[in-house]
Amino acid sequence: MSERVTGDMTEIDEAEARGRTELWPFWRRVYAQGDPLPRFAPPANRAPHRFDEGDPLPEEYRGLLLKMLRHEGERAGNKSFLGFMATCLDLAEAIFPDATSRLIKAEYLAEELKHAIMFHRLAVGLERDFALKDVPYAHYAFHLPRETWADDAFFHFFVDLNGAFHARDWRESSYVPLAKMSATVERDELGHSEMGYHFLQRICETARGKTVVQHLLGKWYPAALDMFGRSDSPNVPKFIGWGLKSVGNAEIRDAYKTYVDAKLVALGLDLPDERAHRRFL
Amino acid sequence: MSDIVEEIRTAYGRVGITLDRPATYGTYYRLLCAGCGKMVGNVGDRLLPDMAAALVEQQFDLYAIGGLGCPCGHQRQVTRGLDAARWEAAQRRYGGVA
Repeated sequence: MSERVTGDMTEIDEAEARGRTELWPFWRRVYAQGDPLPRFAPPANRAPHRFDEGDPLPEEYRGLLLKMLRHEGERAGNKSFLGFMATCLDLAEAIFPDATSRLIKAEYLAEELKHAIMFHRLAVGLERDFALKDVPYAHYAFHLPRETWADDAFFHFFVDLNGAFHARDWRESSYVPLAKMSATVERDELGHSEMGYHFLQRICETARGKTVVQHLLGKWYPAALDMFGRSDSPNVPKFIGWGLKSVGNAEIRDAYKTYVDAKLVALGLDLPDERAHRRFL
Repeated sequence: MSDIVEEIRTAYGRVGITLDRPATYGTYYRLLCAGCGKMVGNVGDRLLPDMAAALVEQQFDLYAIGGLGCPCGHQRQVTRGLDAARWEAAQRRYGGVA
């Protein structure tokens, strides 16, 4: 079974290699300079849990794991995820700035569909009914209007980076199939964030572009910080206790904020008030 | 039609952008220029209450200077009609960038 899965993914990896350009994949140059993301250490006194595919799962554990995967969303059988990908295609067709950018977005979409296959396999191994469950993205960050390439760039810079931070945390996951795929998902999502950042850099090269980007930052920054949820979420200790997360919402949000703030300042942007327009503190 | 979708439709209608029929599986909508019909973006139906109006309001200056909106200039024209003083102020503030 595992040999067949490995073979399928090798074919996808090979196709991915054919799509490589000087820019794509964006993660390559970042990781070549060292580990770009912070390490999230689990509490030292946490009880050791480890569950592999097919193991009987405690009821609470299964519920929390499914909740986490519903939130993640990148599943082949989740039609809302496929619908969201279609909106990315729509935008790429309607407002792409140049042919290179459009090709980069095509590579992005292919890579997200690779994740959809990976998470589909994980879902089938966990609970077959879940594999075809439609779960629309609940967080408003996935629903913000995207009216320009800068909006789309901010979406990728912020939202895909959120995915990279969570995938980094999954390296320590007690659910073995998730821990196994975490490095690939982290690397790819960081690359998608870098893709968005690359577009922002290009847009900020002109005064007009920088004006637009600075203005739109006020829309995306609070949403990005809100994506980590409430700092006092009652479920977090349960996630940490079962080994499904290593750190709480506030800690991962702080690390994320430090990361994005440095990148935004490097673009010459003024940082918004971190509490302005926030919905989930 | 959800209340949120109606909020979005009303908010964008003010600046000359119409909400198309639901795209894909009903969660997302294309935004179309009310002047020429060109697609100018998209939006999802899970914005929080009052968020759509606030976002469009915050983007007034960008529509006014042509940083957002259709290349045909429709939103620029509509925002001038909405609030000429604010529109002129945006031209002065961002003079030379539009």
